[in-house]
Amino acid sequence: MKVALFIPCYVDQFYPNVGINTLQLLEKLGVEVAYPLQQTCCGQPMANSGCEQDSKDVYHHFVDTFADYEYIVTPSGSCTYHVRKHYDIIDQTPAVQQVRKGVYELVDFLENVLKVEEIPVHFPHKVGLHLSCHGQRGLRQANASEITGDKGGQILTLLKKLKGIEITHLERNDECCGFGGSFCITEEAVSARMGQDRIADHVRHGTKVLTGGDMSCLMHLEGIVKRQQVPIKVMHIAEILNGSQP
Amino acid sequence: MNHPALAEKFARDFSRTTWHDETLWFVRQKRDKAIYPIPEFQELRLLASKIKDHTLSNLDNYLLQFEENARKNGVQVHWATDGEEHNQIVLDIIRNASSIKDKTGTIKMVKSKSMLTEECHLNPFLQKNGVEVVDTDLGERIVQFRNEPPSHIVMPAIHLKKEDVGETFHEHLGTPKGEKDPQALTEAARQHLRQKFIEADVALTGVNFAVAETGSFVVCTNEGNADLGVNLANVHIACMGMEKLIPKIEHLSVFIRLLARSATGQPVTTYTSHFTKPAEGKEMHIVIVDNGRTQQLGRSDFRNSLKCIRCGACMNTCPVYRRSGGHSYDFTVPGPIGAILSPNIDLHKYSSLPFASTLCGSCSDVCPVKIDIHVQLYKWRQVVSKENELPASKKWGMKGLAKMLAMPKVYDLGGKLARSALRVLPHGMTHAKGLNPWAIARELPDAPKQSFKEWYSKNKKS
Amino acid sequence: MSSREKILASVKAHKPVLIDLPTIPAFEGDGSIERFKTVLSGIGGHAIEVESKTDCQGAIDTHYSDLKSVASKLVKSSVEIDKNTSKEVLERVDLAVIEGVVGVAENGAIWVPEVNMINRALPFITQHLVLVLEKRQIVANMHEAYKKLDTVGSYGAFIAGPSKTADIEQSLVIGAHGARSMMVILYGG
Repeated sequence: MKVALFIPCYVDQFYPNVGINTLQLLEKLGVEVAYPLQQTCCGQPMANSGCEQDSKDVYHHFVDTFADYEYIVTPSGSCTYHVRKHYDIIDQTPAVQQVRKGVYELVDFLENVLKVEEIPVHFPHKVGLHLSCHGQRGLRQANASEITGDKGGQILTLLKKLKGIEITHLERNDECCGFGGSFCITEEAVSARMGQDRIADHVRHGTKVLTGGDMSCLMHLEGIVKRQQVPIKVMHIAEILNGSQP
Repeated sequence: MNHPALAEKFARDFSRTTWHDETLWFVRQKRDKAIYPIPEFQELRLLASKIKDHTLSNLDNYLLQFEENARKNGVQVHWATDGEEHNQIVLDIIRNASSIKDKTGTIKMVKSKSMLTEECHLNPFLQKNGVEVVDTDLGERIVQFRNEPPSHIVMPAIHLKKEDVGETFHEHLGTPKGEKDPQALTEAARQHLRQKFIEADVALTGVNFAVAETGSFVVCTNEGNADLGVNLANVHIACMGMEKLIPKIEHLSVFIRLLARSATGQPVTTYTSHFTKPAEGKEMHIVIVDNGRTQQLGRSDFRNSLKCIRCGACMNTCPVYRRSGGHSYDFTVPGPIGAILSPNIDLHKYSSLPFASTLCGSCSDVCPVKIDIHVQLYKWRQVVSKENELPASKKWGMKGLAKMLAMPKVYDLGGKLARSALRVLPHGMTHAKGLNPWAIARELPDAPKQSFKEWYSKNKKS
Repeated sequence: MSSREKILASVKAHKPVLIDLPTIPAFEGDGSIERFKTVLSGIGGHAIEVESKTDCQGAIDTHYSDLKSVASKLVKSSVEIDKNTSKEVLERVDLAVIEGVVGVAENGAIWVPEVNMINRALPFITQHLVLVLEKRQIVANMHEAYKKLDTVGSYGAFIAGPSKTADIEQSLVIGAHGARSMMVILYGG
């Protein structure tokens, strides 16, 4: 199994620890992981702003970087969704098709490719899970409340296996955090308000550690946590699964 | 004003925004409770979607079939290419009606809810031509008194608190000052509007569904205002967007099961009325309106927005709508569905609406006819950009970013410089609210000394 | 070219290739009287059961003894209504007792065809409404209901409970423009 690691641009720059934990976790599970150094970004920031034509060079660069790998694992549902869903505007060469098929969000890869059943981690904390919309509704990694009252999902399944963990029951299990890429700047007022409301839900229900599969949502939520000086520690799911403690 | 500016204005009132959000979320929850127990609900959504897809792909023939059957039923069918023509047709129908044409006093019209007539700006047109127009849906009557547009397609006055309504009714209906009990206010409206129903010469309704096989149309209300108006007046005018057609009566079952549950969480609206023939001695007219719909039909990426049955579920579920209010969209149909319908009408004016979304996808999952709303929002963004309607800063910023991200060395260096700057510059500068909208309510992440790539190169690269 | 021709030509030019019409499978469900009654009470109406249609008069006497102006073809009527009755007379009706033909257990709706309405406005303008329905006419869902109706006639409505609105702050108020209360009399075995 030839596996490459893709560390999204903002994780690379601002959350290197998330990248390190992702890499270590995969290695612990016996995966030999390559990290192609020429990697940059999946191209989503431009595309979501309406500039997918400008993104084409970035798409090609992504494909060139990862075409030789069977799997491209990344700690981001959002970037995975973008490659799978929106790389349809470039020529569908075998390399493009391979990359779109091979890209996996980390937890999806753990559960559905590695078939991980156990995570030997003790995590005695009250954990609130933030579902990223692209992971949940885009990749269908978790049930959507619009469709069913069953709150099951991939990240929740793994979290529940950790020893000592308690999961927060939220009033709104899958409401968007309001990050939304450039939305967080252009629609600052609504974006901030959405994030504040998410944090308030977690605070009301006792979350001590806030986690999720996408650091972009978590970056936005952490920005609010820090501004409001709320006693919540924000951690990416890769950090928790790799045994980091708050 | 564009959406961000209007949204900012709305969200500035923190507690009112909380209330608006929670009120609409309550409706969304009612909807969830109504649909979870129905095992075939997802199958019904798929069926509804396919029935509409089919109908749109054969729309000209169904329109002809509908027209033929309606005429056989004694209904007069009119066609309007745009809003202006629609308004003129309605006025002509009123002026030429045998029961009205010799009337000397003011011609009086009662209307039940019709988003189409909002879209065509019918009310001001008729009023200018001497027709008294009274909206009879309670929510619509409230906003009509206040001279405001509806802020929601199902709950037109959802942006108002009962105190607001109390003041409006005190001013227009003479209810006691300070009266804010919904029961008492509704009773006052009932008495006021009963008089209007009795006096009306003509009743106008929208159309929820039109059935090609029989020439019938269906109107759904909870209040009973459509039926009261129509059955007491001598002339009934029903205005419909051409996309309201479905092939057969049996298809109504699918849509009726979906509509009220999605809209308000009710199992069905109180009145689901099927109009086929006019009552003896009375007139019934149908106005079929295009107003940009055939153009949307021709846009393959956006065509299926025409499947919309106007339930409003995408508004109730939308975290942006709930926190920015219907008026922030400044379009007849607000919310996610409005954000994909409006650019078809005027791309320049509504260029900010496709960006009034995080693309969370909740709208698409809640939609009873499975319109891929968030995908269309993404696609409209590309059109906005292509038609050069993006703000210049965004356009050039994105071009620059794309160039950088296609060149690893430039990206690595750029990231390093940016992080150093963030570490070195004082907090007051990096978080200056005028320069950095992020920092108005949020802290920036700490800028680490080394990126993951730098760490990897040092520690792992063999 | 008339607007009609213009629109039809434009639709023809813009429509996609023909997509198949799906068939609606037979959806089953709980068509019980209990279900119907539970759902009806959830939407603000209520139902009582009597043995036969002739027992309606007794039920009306019991439940509506205070109402003076009653219009009906089923029970004793105190005001004569036909399709030409004036608005002013209709406006003063306190109670209309009308026969429905199909009931729907999943949503509490009852189909009332024009022929049973006496006057098209009556079921809507009356202050209170009673619908009479034979128990065996209750079906599980809307698919079965439309199947059971041969035709939707010239005019007809599914009526589900009393008139209501939640347009002021989402507070439910019964009795918006139409009937302030709605009772269903179920008869038969």
